[in-house]
Amino acid sequence: MQQKMWGALLCVLAMMGCQPATDKLVITGSSTIAPLMAELAERFEAQTGVQVDVQSGGSGRGISDVRQGLADLGMVSRALKQDEQDLAGHVIARDGIALIVHAENPVAPLTRDQIIAIYTGKLDSWSLLGGADRPITVVHKADGRSTQELFLEHFGLDNDQVRADLVIGENQQGIKAVAGDPYAIGYVSIGTAVYEADHDVPLRLLPLQGVPASLAALEQGDYPLSRELNLVSRGELKRQAKALLDFLADPAQAEIYHAYYFLPATR
Amino acid sequence: MRWPDRLAAVSGALLLLAVLVPMGLMLWSLLVQGSGVLSVDFLLEDPSQAGRAGGIAALLISTGWILAVCLLVAVPLGLGCALYLSEQVPAGTRRAQWLGGVLDMLAAVPSIVYGLFGYQFFAISLGLGFSILSGGLALALMVLPLMIRSAEQALRAVPFSYRQAGEALSISRWGWVKRILIPQAAPGIAVGIILSIGRALAETAVLLFTAGYVLRRPDSVMDSGRALSVHIYDLAMNVPGGMARAAATGLVLVAILVILNLLVRRWLRPAQGVLY
Repeated sequence: MQQKMWGALLCVLAMMGCQPATDKLVITGSSTIAPLMAELAERFEAQTGVQVDVQSGGSGRGISDVRQGLADLGMVSRALKQDEQDLAGHVIARDGIALIVHAENPVAPLTRDQIIAIYTGKLDSWSLLGGADRPITVVHKADGRSTQELFLEHFGLDNDQVRADLVIGENQQGIKAVAGDPYAIGYVSIGTAVYEADHDVPLRLLPLQGVPASLAALEQGDYPLSRELNLVSRGELKRQAKALLDFLADPAQAEIYHAYYFLPATR
Repeated sequence: MRWPDRLAAVSGALLLLAVLVPMGLMLWSLLVQGSGVLSVDFLLEDPSQAGRAGGIAALLISTGWILAVCLLVAVPLGLGCALYLSEQVPAGTRRAQWLGGVLDMLAAVPSIVYGLFGYQFFAISLGLGFSILSGGLALALMVLPLMIRSAEQALRAVPFSYRQAGEALSISRWGWVKRILIPQAAPGIAVGIILSIGRALAETAVLLFTAGYVLRRPDSVMDSGRALSVHIYDLAMNVPGGMARAAATGLVLVAILVILNLLVRRWLRPAQGVLY
């Protein structure tokens, strides 16, 4: 009995000595990109045999992991900022942010001022917008989420001005919050929203400045609230990372991007 | 029965019902959402399409490895600390209160803190990266206080007269620990271990930043591997269309935890006198 235990301990110690495989790629970051990346990585792995580990956690984590050398590539679901110029960005896809309400909400398309009034708490009932006489449940995203940064930037808002009833993290949380409350309004990635609306989740995507929130509008470049999905790297790219970037840009992968309702970047 | 007694009995039963109903509803909603994909194949297949298709075989393997690393570290360390506390630190002394207080405080630290520490220390400083080893070690840190406290209680519950009898026979210290103390406390220690396993299995926050999200079957403890709880979180939060499989995975996890709890009850029965 005791000998067995020591044997097991030795095995573990031996395994601890193993170095991680050198041809492994680690990709961390945006939870918007992670599921798409996981599936693309699965294919890349099957073709080339290079192991690709995809870790989620938000764009901010992607950037810090690349800076610390913990990840080879970081997933960042927005354009790089001024203070992030030490990193190289590789655009892999485009996405937009859609305002969503419950499917039963009869509200007409909202104007820019109305949306700002709703999110700053100045407009607090659907009755003023042609809906029921019920308070508006304002769903907002937490700090550090790039969806939130883009939303605030687009509407010229400061996060302190926002009067939210519900602050959420992930896209799916936003979907669940709005689908479960006929009087809620929120904003999530178009990709996620279209997927869920197509799969019988009671959601409605509101047009923005007269442009419908759809992939077609995004493709034509008409949709006003759009963003690029980036992979970022620091310093010289590993050979496998280069191969992966080429693989991601290959038009043969377009169907996977479409399955997640993203637009592959054209190069 | 007098009417105040009856009233107390009825209101007690109602309160119990009020607690049981939400739990029943929770299980029911998991069943409704997850039963469509739950099957034997679900347990035997590896996931694909970011978890939207396939099963959870690779995750069961990763979860098992993470748990194994966690227990290999936490059980010997925890038992050692508990032995020190019960043998060297008499109950009721200032030192015992201090050490116990610190352990209780550590047990109350939110698990995300252990997760962030594990990420910073094991993954970055020690260079273990996102791996089952990082995750298991961070998890071990989290369950250690619980393990130590429950093992300590089990050891302290061994009657003092046994110790007196041992000393009368001039048995050595090690002999006393090995032949009498630990065997006597074994059921209680086992309960502590099983409770720790339950806590570790249900844990998500510690593993998000340490063991990571990778869906592949692990080749070694240096590989990243996704635990069941992380899978549920990711499918429900990040993956469009992942809810059915999240619910099914939840059912599997609940089933494992129920089995563990039944084990606790079985272990408890022979240990007359040791109560929790």
